[in-house]
Amino acid sequence: MLRVCDLTMRYPNRKLALAGFSLTVGAGDLVVVLGGNGSGKTTLLRCVTRMLDPTSGEIWLGDTDLAALSGERLRQARLPLAMIWQQANLVRRRSALANVASGALGRHAGWWTALGGFPPEELRAAYDHLGAVGLAQFAGQRAGTLSGGQAQRVAIARALAQRPQVLLADEPVASLDPEAAHDIMRLLRRLAAEQKLAVLCVLHQVELAYEYADRIVGIRAGRMAFDLPCGEVPRDMVRQLYLNEAA
Amino acid sequence: MTAAAEPHLIERGWSGALSLALRLVLLLALVLIVLQSAIVVQARPQDLITGAKGMADIIRRAIPPDFAEIGKIWWPTLETVDIAIFGTIGGVIMALPLAVLAADNVTPSRLFYYAARGLIGLARSVPDLVWALLFVTAVGLGPFPGALALAVHSVGMLGRLFAETIEHMEMAPIDALALTGARRLQIFTHGVIPSVLPSLTGITLYRFDENLRSSLVLGFVGAGGIGFELLSAMNLFQYRLVSLYLIVTFILVLAAERLSALVRARLA
Repeated sequence: MLRVCDLTMRYPNRKLALAGFSLTVGAGDLVVVLGGNGSGKTTLLRCVTRMLDPTSGEIWLGDTDLAALSGERLRQARLPLAMIWQQANLVRRRSALANVASGALGRHAGWWTALGGFPPEELRAAYDHLGAVGLAQFAGQRAGTLSGGQAQRVAIARALAQRPQVLLADEPVASLDPEAAHDIMRLLRRLAAEQKLAVLCVLHQVELAYEYADRIVGIRAGRMAFDLPCGEVPRDMVRQLYLNEAA
Repeated sequence: MTAAAEPHLIERGWSGALSLALRLVLLLALVLIVLQSAIVVQARPQDLITGAKGMADIIRRAIPPDFAEIGKIWWPTLETVDIAIFGTIGGVIMALPLAVLAADNVTPSRLFYYAARGLIGLARSVPDLVWALLFVTAVGLGPFPGALALAVHSVGMLGRLFAETIEHMEMAPIDALALTGARRLQIFTHGVIPSVLPSLTGITLYRFDENLRSSLVLGFVGAGGIGFELLSAMNLFQYRLVSLYLIVTFILVLAAERLSALVRARLA
């Protein structure tokens, strides 16, 4: 579903953030990326979304190489790729329902959506997505009044409204309490399984990775350290990722 | 007191003396600035004292206000309010797209940015009175040139403050919206506008408040409304009518201020 091939990213200051990184995430897989600060985790996700332009490499989303596209063709090709962040990044003064429905905007080019409206079928679908994340009762509530965990669930519902095949998550539980963090990880796990989503999730919490991931990918200094099924990743190997950072 | 502390205190004593000298210099500079301004404006307080009698005479002739004429003031009052409404709404309609082009974080290109900043600056730097005279020349006397003048002059303030509001908004939700595949106009209507709407409304209401007061002055150059009637009454020495218009003006300004404060408080 998502295939990253030989991805290299060198920043203008010559810092090498990713060096020949390759990775595959299949439909229904939840792959967790672990690594120390500055190891290249977030750069990886930003390159996959093309928020950053990689120096070289390929990013295959199905049969399309996102790395080779730009402008309107990139926007179209990227529609099946959704992303959630550490912060929910919702429009705080809009309702939860409107925030979720905004995930569908990319599919609509009419004047009504350009003027701030939504097609009725997308509002109905948004309500269903809110139900899927357990927040249907908060549909009319302003996003700015939701708790961190609720807001992150709304962000996931917005991602679902995009009808994605791949979901990228950049430290989605970093600002949540442990209970809310488990809720979000359980939700991602369920969505991967039920909706056959390919989920690529960057985490700092090793225990959550062991508990919810199908595979764990270790990244160190922009290079792949390991890519193993969850049950085959020795603790020492994970510790090594962070020890190197401390050294 | 320890020996080690002494050099430190001596140093502090020096810096204290310097600070005092600096304050005296600043105070002297302030006095000089006030003095030069008094000279330039040809301030003559003695004239104010000797002329107070004339002012008192006018006030005496303006009391009591001529409430018998109250039936005549509704139309000019409505005109004044409507000049302010038209001017403010017209200003918002012109300022909003300019502000988007003039906001550093959302402008589509540097060329548009500088062009929009230039237009906003031009609208602001030409006084509303001059705009009114220009529009009187173009469309003749009456409330219309006044409303046009306020609309154009409002673009200066509204455009600048709108652009600053957009520049200071949180960009993460906008980036998130862009990544869902939303188009530029959709990002603007679904992300930018809802995020900045309370601030824009507050600024607009504040401008309406200002425009209401400006529309009174514009009446003096033939732009209709209470201002025009006020000038006519003064020219005809109808001071009791003048005081009636002043009371209406006071009520209008106060009402606009209260309304503006109430709406802004609700939006906060």
